[in-house]
Amino acid sequence: MLQKPESGALPILRAEGEKDGGRDGETQALAASQEAASPLLQETPGEHLGARREEGPAEPALAPRGARTLAAKASARRRAYRRLDRTVAELVQFLLVKDKKKSPITRSEMVKYVIGDQKDLSPEIIARAAEHLRHVFGFELKQLGRKQHTYILINKLKPLEEEEEEEDLGGGGPRLGLLIMILGLIYMKGNSARETQVWEMLRRLGVRPSKYHFLFGYPKRLIMEDFVQQRYLSYRQVPHSNPPECEFSWGPRSNLEISKMKVLGFVAKLHKKEPQHWPVQYREALADEADRARAKARAEASMRARARARARATETAGISPW
Amino acid sequence: MISNHITAPSHMQGGTRRAGVMTDVHRRFLQLLMTHGVLEEWDVRRLQKHCYRVHDRTAAVEELEDFINNINSVLESLYIEIKKGATEDDGRPVYALVNLATTSVSKMASDFAENELDLFRKALELIIDSETGFASSTNILNLVDQLKGKKMRKKEAEQVLQKFVQNKWLIEKEGEFTLHSRAILEMEQYIRETYPDAVKICNICHSLLIQGQSCETCGIRMHLPCVAKYFQSNSEPRCPHCNDYWPHEIPEVFDPEKEREASTSKANRKSLRSRQH
Repeated sequence: MLQKPESGALPILRAEGEKDGGRDGETQALAASQEAASPLLQETPGEHLGARREEGPAEPALAPRGARTLAAKASARRRAYRRLDRTVAELVQFLLVKDKKKSPITRSEMVKYVIGDQKDLSPEIIARAAEHLRHVFGFELKQLGRKQHTYILINKLKPLEEEEEEEDLGGGGPRLGLLIMILGLIYMKGNSARETQVWEMLRRLGVRPSKYHFLFGYPKRLIMEDFVQQRYLSYRQVPHSNPPECEFSWGPRSNLEISKMKVLGFVAKLHKKEPQHWPVQYREALADEADRARAKARAEASMRARARARARATETAGISPW
Repeated sequence: MISNHITAPSHMQGGTRRAGVMTDVHRRFLQLLMTHGVLEEWDVRRLQKHCYRVHDRTAAVEELEDFINNINSVLESLYIEIKKGATEDDGRPVYALVNLATTSVSKMASDFAENELDLFRKALELIIDSETGFASSTNILNLVDQLKGKKMRKKEAEQVLQKFVQNKWLIEKEGEFTLHSRAILEMEQYIRETYPDAVKICNICHSLLIQGQSCETCGIRMHLPCVAKYFQSNSEPRCPHCNDYWPHEIPEVFDPEKEREASTSKANRKSLRSRQH
């Protein structure tokens, strides 16, 4: 369900700049001499040993020197794993805190503030962080659009029923109600609504753009800045409009967090009618439900396939990358 | 085979975790705890019951301590944990989700601007340096010119301080500010590392001390709830370090039963809100 905007992240006090690979003041016992970032998936040319690229059986009788260098190699690899673990953990925390503000996170931000010089491992780091977010917190790390490397967190826990709602300490809020009103208007008007129409509806509810409201604060800022920035609403100029007009449509987050059917249901309730009372919108909502069901089935199938692949990989014992 | 000598660390082995099991009950609990930042124990119990009701009505509600330990075993690999502490003024148990290792990441992602964070830092330093654990609004605001980042006016700084109070980083009492239990839980490690000389420690529980009582002879300090527990039913309280007579009023031990009665009957709770040193 739509999440209300949260505030109050940690005012952490470290006066550090961007991540540069140097980590000061950490309490974990990471080795003082960090290995230079090298892809873990291969033996690195940077290591001191000879050129053997693959692990395999060596001579049956290990000379002491061979054993030492192997131990050094293993310890270096352990350090690298630990460092990777730390980065994944930091990325999880970073994403959680960023998501509290509901602002989308770009891949370049992740690299700049967390991943740093382990950039080459970004895909794996991000994938592992996403898995933690899903398994531990019930959030899905969702990419907005295929080309842009922008992500948000979606709550995968089932939305609360009405009778469960009041017990939830977190609770929705009046801001959510306002947003749903706007989403409803947009939907009923054919998936986009002129800015003037939105303000007209709100005026009828006693909400004026720049007048402080005891529930919503400054509505204009809430709608034009917060909701747009959080990707609940999209805002653009209507092409070829003269005088120029702007319109709202559903933002990508709204598409992910709520469905047309739900919003139609809300509008129907408001008017004390059934959703079927608006056949066009009802048909559209039904089609949307079918799309979602198909997408969900596909996602589950691919997740099962990935899990099977992972299980197979770990069964082949010895040194596996993950 | 050489590979026998080198086994991948346990975290590499896919699903073979010793750690506890995560269900939607635990996930919702974590989400809501994160939302609130810090919660008192009775709220945490209510929250736990709510999560069971939503996701697993038939299951028995696990004992809170085990429930939390279970979740913490899963959180370990993420370097975070659900930490239990107590309010410094009357010893009410509180819980928060805290980082186990402070890094620069949180600062980047936080929703406070650079000058706001610096204001907090200044307030924190004044609080730690103070005798009472409180810093006056005036003293904090006088440092506004020294802040890093965008210039901040005193009027604006007052609002930022209120923002810290609303977000449970600071507590305000009669124009003076001290750390909220959330800040103490989250930042104890950072504070002890950053201000090793100025920091005060409780003689009983050896944790960070911001507010408390101190012995006038030898100077050792104790949290109010630690004093309450240590001197419980002791008619002649003496300093545990120098044995001198303990000159302060001994608070009552926090009793959750009394707490519930008081709040339901809306009687005034007897609580020692005065600062004692």
